[in-house]
Amino acid sequence: MNMRQVGIEIPKVDVLEKALGEAKYGADLPCQEPLHLKVLRSPTSHAKIVRMQMEKALRVSGVERIFTAKDIPGKNLVGTIVKDQPILASDRVRYIGDAVALIAARTEEAAEEAAQKVVVVYEDLPSIIHPEEALHPHAPLIHEKGNLLLEFHVIKGDVQKGFKEAEVVVEETYTTTWVDHAYLEPDAGISYLDEKGRITIVCPTQNVHYDQKEVASVLSLPLDQVRIIQCSTGGGFGGRLDVTIQCLLALAAFHLKQPVRIVYSREEVFQVTSKRHPLTIRYKSGAKKDGKLIAIEVDILGDTGAYASYGGTVAIRSAVHATGPYQVPNVKVRSRMAYTNNSWSGAMRGFGVPQMAFAHESQMDLLAQALKMDPIEIRLKNCLRVGSETATGQTLTASVGIGETLKKVKEWRDKLSLLKDDSKKPFIKKGVGIGSMWYGIGNTGIANPSTAQMEIDPDGEIRLFTGVADIGQGSDTVLLQIASEAIGVSLDEIRLIRADTAVTTDAGATSASRQTYISGNAILDAIKNLKHSAIQEASQLLNIDENDLFFENGKVKSRTCLTTSIPLREIAKRCAKILKGEGSFDPETTKLDPQTGQGVPYATYAFATHLAEVEVDTESGKVSVNRVIASHDVGKAIHPQNVIGQIMGGVAMGTGFALMEEYVPGEKTSFVNYLIPTSKDVPEVIPIVVEDKEPTGPFGAKGVGEPALIPSAPAILNAIAEAIGQRIYDLPANLERVLGAVQKRKLA
Amino acid sequence: MITFMLNGKEIQVEVPPHWTLLRLLREKLCLTGTKEGCGIGECGSCTVLLDGMPVNACLILAPKVEGRRVETIEGLGSRESLHPLQKSFMDHGAIQCGFCTPGILMSSKALLEKNSQPNREEIKEAISGHLCRCTGYHQIIEAIEALKE
Ligand code: FES
Ligand code: FES
Repeated sequence: MNMRQVGIEIPKVDVLEKALGEAKYGADLPCQEPLHLKVLRSPTSHAKIVRMQMEKALRVSGVERIFTAKDIPGKNLVGTIVKDQPILASDRVRYIGDAVALIAARTEEAAEEAAQKVVVVYEDLPSIIHPEEALHPHAPLIHEKGNLLLEFHVIKGDVQKGFKEAEVVVEETYTTTWVDHAYLEPDAGISYLDEKGRITIVCPTQNVHYDQKEVASVLSLPLDQVRIIQCSTGGGFGGRLDVTIQCLLALAAFHLKQPVRIVYSREEVFQVTSKRHPLTIRYKSGAKKDGKLIAIEVDILGDTGAYASYGGTVAIRSAVHATGPYQVPNVKVRSRMAYTNNSWSGAMRGFGVPQMAFAHESQMDLLAQALKMDPIEIRLKNCLRVGSETATGQTLTASVGIGETLKKVKEWRDKLSLLKDDSKKPFIKKGVGIGSMWYGIGNTGIANPSTAQMEIDPDGEIRLFTGVADIGQGSDTVLLQIASEAIGVSLDEIRLIRADTAVTTDAGATSASRQTYISGNAILDAIKNLKHSAIQEASQLLNIDENDLFFENGKVKSRTCLTTSIPLREIAKRCAKILKGEGSFDPETTKLDPQTGQGVPYATYAFATHLAEVEVDTESGKVSVNRVIASHDVGKAIHPQNVIGQIMGGVAMGTGFALMEEYVPGEKTSFVNYLIPTSKDVPEVIPIVVEDKEPTGPFGAKGVGEPALIPSAPAILNAIAEAIGQRIYDLPANLERVLGAVQKRKLA
Repeated sequence: MITFMLNGKEIQVEVPPHWTLLRLLREKLCLTGTKEGCGIGECGSCTVLLDGMPVNACLILAPKVEGRRVETIEGLGSRESLHPLQKSFMDHGAIQCGFCTPGILMSSKALLEKNSQPNREEIKEAISGHLCRCTGYHQIIEAIEALKE
C-alpha cells in the first residue's frame, strides 16, 4: 500500500499553540472570579479522626465554606477498580496526605490561612510500613476486608520437574522503590456550571470518561449532569489515570454554584498523587547447559500503600510479564499486593513491568555468566518467536519482533567491543549491558473497548470524534493520520473533536500504550461504516447498484464505469444530511484463569532491547550512562518522529529509575530532593525502529509509550555489573549503593 | 506602581511588593504562557528574559523589574511570524506535553543571542536548569542546534 499520511514526518497538530505559549493548562484556564480551593491534609499516616473544629477557620476573612466528608452527597469512595479511597476522610486517615477538609475562599491566601486554623484531633493507630508486616495474620487492618488487596498466580508446566532438569540455577531477590511521575504540570483545574447547568470540570487528565463516572458517583448525579473537558495536559505517565482534583472541584462547584479553581503546589503533587509500586521480587531461574530456560519460580510482593488504585492491575501484569520476552516451559509465579500506610501507589508507565524487567534481565545475565555465554546469545536462544507459547498459554501468531531487536543491538555491540579501550583513569570502570522486554498492549484480560465517530456534513466539514486524551505523547496527531489515511483526505481537512464527555464517547484511558492500537482501530471501524453509508447514498444519487461502487481516496467510484466518481463532500451536500460512521474496537482477549492465570491477556505485544554503555566512578559511586542503543518493535511507526520522541523520553525516565529516583513517603519532597534527569544526565540515544507489522493493528501499529522506558534500567544495571564486577539488586543504583557494591567486590 | 519594558512595550502596573514576577505576569497581566512547575527555582518552566538574561520568574520579586526589560514567550513570536526557534522546536518534535517549552525557548533565545555557534555541550549547559519529563531533551537539543548559523 502506498501511504500518504502514515509513516511521515509532520509537526504534531497541537504544537503551534504550545510553541506560542497559548495552550491553556490547568492553572492557565480563564475563569470569572473563581473561589480558590485548598485541601487540608493528614499529617499522620494512620489515625482516627476524633473531631474537627472549624469555627476559627471560618472566621478568616474571605473564607466562604469548609467542606468535610459530611458534605458529599453520593458515594465517598473512588478508585479505578476497587473503590476504597475517600475524597475527604470521614473517620480515619490512612497515609500522610489524606484529604480531610476542603476550604473555599475568595483568595488563595485566605484559603491557606483557614487551612492552618482548622483544628483536627487525631487518635493515632499503629502504622504499617512494610507489606510483609501487613500480611501478618495479626496485623492491624488498614481496610476492613483485610490487608491483602490481591493475589494472582501464573502456573504452567511442572516447576519442580523443571528445576530437577536444570543444569544451572540462579536465585536472587530484587527490590524497587517509590517513583514519582514528576509530570511537569502540577495538577490544577476549574469547575463551574455550564449553560445547561451541568457540573463542568476542566483539568488535565488521561481519561475524561472515567473521571465523569467518579464525579457523578461522588455527587450522586446522573452521568449527563457531569461534564469533563480535558485541557492541555502537562504530562501524565499514569499519574493522571486516577482522579486527583476532579471530585474536589466538583464538590465545591456543586454546593457553591459558582466557579472554583484549584492549583496544587509541587510539594502537594509529590505528597498526594500516586507512585510507582515498590516491588520485592524473589526470582529463581533454571536453564540447561546450552542456555535454554527450563523453569522459573517467582514471588512478587508489592506495596500499594493506603489505597488500591491500580494495585491489582500491577500485581497481575507483573505476574503475566514475569518470564520476560522468553519461552519458558515451566512457570510458577505468585504475585501479591498489600495495603500499608505508605503513600498510595498507582499506575506508572509500565504497570509493574519495569520492575519485573529489572529482575528478569538481571537473571538472564546471571545465567549467561554462569554458563559463560554471551548475554545477547542467551537471549536470542530463548526469545519468543511466532509460534511460541507464553507463560499464560497464549500462542503468538504474528509480530514478535524481539529477536530482531536483539539482532539490531548485537550489530551495534559487535562494533563497540572493537572500540572499547582502557581509560587512563583506573578508577573509572566501563561496562556494557543489555536489557530486553515485552509489553502487552491494552488492559490485561478484560474488556478494553474504544469508540469513535467520523462524520461529514452537507457543508463539507469532516469531523473526527474521539474521547482520547492526548497528554503530550501525540495521539491527536496519530489518530488524525490514521483517519486521513483511511478516508483519503488530507489531515488538515479533518476537524478533531476530542476528550470532552459532552461531545465524545468513551475511548478508555490513555494508558497501557493502547490508544494507537485500540482507538486507532475504533477510528478505522468508524470510517469503514462511514464509507458504507457514503456508498449507499451514492448508489441512490447515481442510480448505480451498491455492489458496483467502491471507495477510494475520498471518493466513491464505479468499478465498471471508470469515469464515474463522486467525492465524499459532494455526496453529503447532494443528499443534504450528515453522513456518519460509528466505530468501536475491543481487542480479542480472554479472561485469565483465576487459579493458573492461563488465557490470552492481550491481543498483541510490543518488544524492545536496549544496550547501555556506562562509566562508573568507583571513588564517588557516580554512574554516567554514555550511550543507549534503543531498539523497538512498534509494529508500524505511524509518526516516526513521535515514536523516537517516546523512546528518547523513555530512556531518560528509565535512567532516572535506574540511578536516582526515590520517593520517601511522608518526607517533604520537592525537586530539591527528588532528582529527575536533566539535559546533563541523559545519555546519547540511538533509536532503532523495527517494524514487524501487527496484522490486527491500524496499518500494522502496536504501541511504544511504556516499552520506551522498560528496558533502560535493566540495561544500565547490567552494564554497571559488568563494569565493577558486582551486581546491584536494589533500585535505584544511587551513589551509596554503587560504592557499597564496589566495596563488596574489593572484599570478595 | 512599577514601570518596565514588557515584550518591547513600556507598561505601568500596580503590584503588591511581595508578589513575584511570575505571579504578576500570570495573574495580573494574564500572560499565562510562562509556567509554574515548582515555584522554588528548580524546574525552569517560569523562565523569562530579564535584560536579555534568563531568570526564574518565580524567584524574582516583581518590584525588582522596575526600569528593566522583560521578555516572555508571548513576545517571542506570533502565528504570523514565528520565531525561528519556535518553528525549529515544532519541526524537530521538541514539544511533547509542551509545559516546559516556553521556558526552554526563552533560555535558547538567550543562548543564541550570546553565542550563535553553540556546540552540543554548550546547548546542554544552557538548558540544564530546565526539567523536561517527556522528551529526554534530545529533540530539544537538535532543534536548537539546527539554528546554528
Ligand atoms: S517555577 Fe520557577 S523554577 Fe520552577
Ligand atoms: S515536553 Fe513535557 S515536560 Fe517537556
